[in-house]
Amino acid sequence: MAATIDRDDIETLIPTEQISLAEPPSEKEACIEFLLDQLVEVGRVDDRDAALEALLAREEETTTGVGMGIGIPHAKTDGVTRPSVAFTRSESGIDFGAMDDEPVTLIFMILVPEEGADDHLDILSSLSRALMHEEVRDDLHAAETPADVQQTLKGAVA
Amino acid sequence: MSERIVTVVPEAGLHARPAAKFVETVNEHEADVRVAPADGDDDLVAAGSMIAITSLGVESGDGVRIVAEGEDAHEALDALETVLTTPEDELTNA
Repeated sequence: MAATIDRDDIETLIPTEQISLAEPPSEKEACIEFLLDQLVEVGRVDDRDAALEALLAREEETTTGVGMGIGIPHAKTDGVTRPSVAFTRSESGIDFGAMDDEPVTLIFMILVPEEGADDHLDILSSLSRALMHEEVRDDLHAAETPADVQQTLKGAVA
Repeated sequence: MSERIVTVVPEAGLHARPAAKFVETVNEHEADVRVAPADGDDDLVAAGSMIAITSLGVESGDGVRIVAEGEDAHEALDALETVLTTPEDELTNA
């Protein structure tokens, strides 16, 4: 069974510069590239093309729109050397083809190195568990700064 | 109420395509289905919700406890056991 991540992991995985409160592109693939570029800009991605290819291949398999307005595009790729997470949110909502047909408004990207299978599942399951709580989703929507987002995540995974 | 413990076969665990298939199968049946890791004392979560399934972090070889209630409870459990015991490359798209 996957392990859980804690407050300190949040600092390492998603520093505030990987959190954007600007409106992302309204189309799914463009939004995925927008999030990926946040990680590229802070130097967490060595091979953007490889990472993008892995992310889109994963979407091809089945959508990462997991319901409740949440999208978690993710991939294992050697385009990164350490597990990294980025966040953005959309006021208008993005069609991720989620099973519950809800547009996605809170979007997390998870990238882990190819050999990091355990990290991958740990991060994905911990984030999902946190986001099942309405209060956490409300706080992420209400956050005024990247630091607010990070604080909410720390409280939610603790 | 019926329940069953099933060991997860797909290599990726209850994740991606097997997870989507699992959720779809739940929603095709007239039954209230809930699921939890077989070991440990985690609460059962709604099996028809993708985020709830993702939150479980079930890996290949882990056991899950599936509890079903309603008209199709038995059929639902049979179908879900099939999903969980089918290797990913043999899983057909719904």
